[in-house]
Amino acid sequence: MLKRINQRIAVVLFVISAGYLIMSYQLPSFAYTAVDADVIPKGLGYLLTMLSIVLYFSKNTETEEQKERRNIPKRDMGGLLTVGGMLFLYIWLFEIIGFVLMTSLFVFFCSLILGYKKHIINALVSIIFSISTYTIFVFLLKIQLPQGILPI
Amino acid sequence: MDALQGIMTGIQVALSVEGILFVLMGVFVGTFIGMLPGLGPISAIAIMIPITYGMAPTIALVMMAGVYYGAVFGGSTSSILLNAPGISGTVASSFDGYPMAQQGKAGKALAVAAISSFAGGTVSVVLLMLFAPVLASVAVSFGPPAYFALMLMGLTLISSLSECSTIKALISATIGFMVATIGLDGQTGTQRFTFGNPNLFEGIDFLVIALGLFALTEVCTLILNRKDQSLSQNKSIGSLKLSKSDVKEMSGPMSRHSFLGFILGILPGAGATIASFISYVTEKRISKKSHQFGKGSIKGLAAPEASNNAATSGAFVPLLSLGIPGSGTTAVMLGAFMVLGVQPGPLLMSDQPEIFWGIIASMYIGNIFLLIINLPLIPYIARILRIPRPLLISLVIMFSLIGVYSISFNPFDLYLLLICGVLGFVMRLFSFPAPPLILAFILGGMMEQSFRQSLTISNGNLMIFIENPISLALLIVALLSFLVPIIKYFISRKSEDSNETTSL
Amino acid sequence: MKKVFTFFAFMLLMFFVVACSGDSSENPDTSETTDSDSTEDSGSEISDSWQPEQTIEFVAPAGAGGGWDTTARMAAQVFNETGIIEQDIGVENQPGGGGAVAWADIHKQDGSPYNLFVSSPPLLLVPLNGQSEFGHEDFTPLSNIIADYGAFAVRADAPWDDLNDLFEDMKEDPSSISVVGASSPGSMDHIQFVKIAKAAGVDPTKIKYVSDQDGGALTSLLNGSVDVYSTGVAETVEQVKAGEIKVLGITAEERLEGEVLSTFPTAIEQGIDETFVNWRGFFGPPNMDPEAVNYYEQKFKELSDSEEFAEIRANYGWDEQYMNSEEYKKFLDEEKESIASLLEELGLSE
Repeated sequence: MLKRINQRIAVVLFVISAGYLIMSYQLPSFAYTAVDADVIPKGLGYLLTMLSIVLYFSKNTETEEQKERRNIPKRDMGGLLTVGGMLFLYIWLFEIIGFVLMTSLFVFFCSLILGYKKHIINALVSIIFSISTYTIFVFLLKIQLPQGILPI
Repeated sequence: MDALQGIMTGIQVALSVEGILFVLMGVFVGTFIGMLPGLGPISAIAIMIPITYGMAPTIALVMMAGVYYGAVFGGSTSSILLNAPGISGTVASSFDGYPMAQQGKAGKALAVAAISSFAGGTVSVVLLMLFAPVLASVAVSFGPPAYFALMLMGLTLISSLSECSTIKALISATIGFMVATIGLDGQTGTQRFTFGNPNLFEGIDFLVIALGLFALTEVCTLILNRKDQSLSQNKSIGSLKLSKSDVKEMSGPMSRHSFLGFILGILPGAGATIASFISYVTEKRISKKSHQFGKGSIKGLAAPEASNNAATSGAFVPLLSLGIPGSGTTAVMLGAFMVLGVQPGPLLMSDQPEIFWGIIASMYIGNIFLLIINLPLIPYIARILRIPRPLLISLVIMFSLIGVYSISFNPFDLYLLLICGVLGFVMRLFSFPAPPLILAFILGGMMEQSFRQSLTISNGNLMIFIENPISLALLIVALLSFLVPIIKYFISRKSEDSNETTSL
Repeated sequence: MKKVFTFFAFMLLMFFVVACSGDSSENPDTSETTDSDSTEDSGSEISDSWQPEQTIEFVAPAGAGGGWDTTARMAAQVFNETGIIEQDIGVENQPGGGGAVAWADIHKQDGSPYNLFVSSPPLLLVPLNGQSEFGHEDFTPLSNIIADYGAFAVRADAPWDDLNDLFEDMKEDPSSISVVGASSPGSMDHIQFVKIAKAAGVDPTKIKYVSDQDGGALTSLLNGSVDVYSTGVAETVEQVKAGEIKVLGITAEERLEGEVLSTFPTAIEQGIDETFVNWRGFFGPPNMDPEAVNYYEQKFKELSDSEEFAEIRANYGWDEQYMNSEEYKKFLDEEKESIASLLEELGLSE
């Protein structure tokens, strides 16, 4: 039943549209308007439901090249997840630790993980990049970036 | 006669030593701030306002205008090189600009963008000078029904943005529209899909979606292909040589969309973003080589670039001649006028011709400066792509993060950015095109509001869309643009069928 | 790799050039790290015991370029340029939730005398609409500095010549007249109109209000899509001068000063006893040190009285209205009560 990839996606989309529709029906009503806030969302919800059904029964028109995109080696997937995890960590910590420090660390380790071997250049670039960006934003453009634990 | 005199005063202002100097400074600062992550014309103008304090109004405003169109000009660089649009008006430029750069033609892509921007800027200044007073009436001619029809027309063009499957493009668009419904509803103030989270009340920022869906998704692909060294070894990446056929190819879209962009720019609320998208899509529709779009077509880059710059000048029509700011950017620009004690409006042209015409005349010079500043820098800027992949990837990620942070200062938006990146990557894996999503996100939100505004005004009577001539005309165009491809499809299938039967 | 360095070096260099050529009027921020000494040296005349010892932050709870942002930036600039406050003032934008995001954030800075923010009626309206946990009661009102008023405009060729004409027609057939504003129902442009209309005897639940947040409100009035435009007085001046629109009434107590402004009749003089002030002022986090409050009250008073700020007010068409902390708090309590009952009647309150 779920052999083709399109069918699986269609099921996921169907679930999404159902969830969206349920939320649309729960929107509070507003007395003084011709078209209330829930009208368009309901329409969109049904549209997506319909489209997901069409997708379920449609032929697979993907080219070989497009299929090839999904062939990700396990190692690369690991790389992606690591970078994603680091990004998450960055967002979580950078307002506390500060822009300059976190950015330097991120650029350095991210490049390192992705296989950049020239450590000295890497370190220099990450430090210069973060300091110069910070300088431009904070001192020249007066746009505040988190200062964090460093004195500047 | 008065107008002619006014124009002469304007030219005098623009050609004075001070005028030239400050235009130069304005476009220089503007183009540079535009290149920085997340900072577009709004931030550029807001940053420069305190500097103008105490300056002579005419000169200060000539400079601020330079900052404005300079920032739009500079914004395309990161779209083309990194697939990371710094401002919303240049998202469409990445559709073909980025593939071009990836093919080792970064210099050429930047040159095409610069020249198209110049063309768009210059053509629109000429139009501005000739017709500004007349065009003011065009600017106010669009009421809610007409806006609804315009947005609907834009949406009907979406199907042509599909890679191969129309149904997938439609699904992307529907999801984009759904995302646009998040936040407080404009007509009722109802919270929709916010889960009570104040961070979502104002909806999701356009830039979060653009940078997530384009830049971060591209980062994922780059990580997978990080061993590819073709770009870092490509010595001619910065070359801006355009062949004769290149110039010929770009001249058509360049001139067409300078006009289209200008007209769309005049309409309050439409602006550079919508102009560049509509230009891109219409160019793809009318082009004979539409299959090349999205894969590095020169036309596909020239059209939105000419259009977004033309729209920028177009936005000066309602601003200068009516005092109506048609977008967030022109609203900030209006602030820049007011801090100098100048109030734009219907009387500006007769009361202070030196300001009205000075700004317009200085745009010629500003555009020339932009071209002169930008072209020689291209070979250097293009070399960014020769930075080793792992390092480049880290820097692009940071670029996107800073871009989002510098507009909202809110880590919540950074998490959203991350989610959009994942969404974009998944969409790419399963061949769902991203451009329809972002287009529907922009047009959909405005379409819904204008639809409901219209019906509130008419007490729920749908005839309002047909009674208004502009909206009627646009609706007919929308209907045609929706039906023609379907009819074409059936006709071509029929002839294919008949071919098959004869061959059998 | 050399090229990367050249690029960054180039970037930096360019920026310094720009900064030097543009910033001639500004003081470079050298005092950033030498705070504690410099304040003592500056020898302030005020004998109060509290003095700022680090950079003061003005938060505009919205994006760059809006009214809050402008007020914060202009106040910061005048403070630093005139030396009313010697300590550096940084302006920070914190958009989101119509202010709610910033308010929630500042509320956490309990007692800090360095995190000030600008606000106006949305600080009352947004919590009343159930969109913010925090309202003015949760902060320390410091000083109000500006007042702005609402204006109700119609096309120059419209059949109404004063508010009473308009409201009479609205009472007869409310569905035939639509009102446009730039904010959503339940917020400023809507509320100011409803408040005045209700005082004139119009049923507030019958008013047809259209919200246009994409900058098309004035356009819609000019092209005849809607009938009435509810906005700030400053937005109408140029169009009135050009003879495109006429202002039927404003929400101020008395007529305003100015060549065109003085021709706008108030609602009160037309027999409608109601006003609406778009006040704007500064607030601090909850539980601020009373001495710090005292300090800021005096400083804002000086700001409000300064020639430099008077010029800024004139340019933006703002009216002067200073209130100290206590007056401000009382004023806000009263405002909130009257708006709350209005919203309740409209069924908009949570």
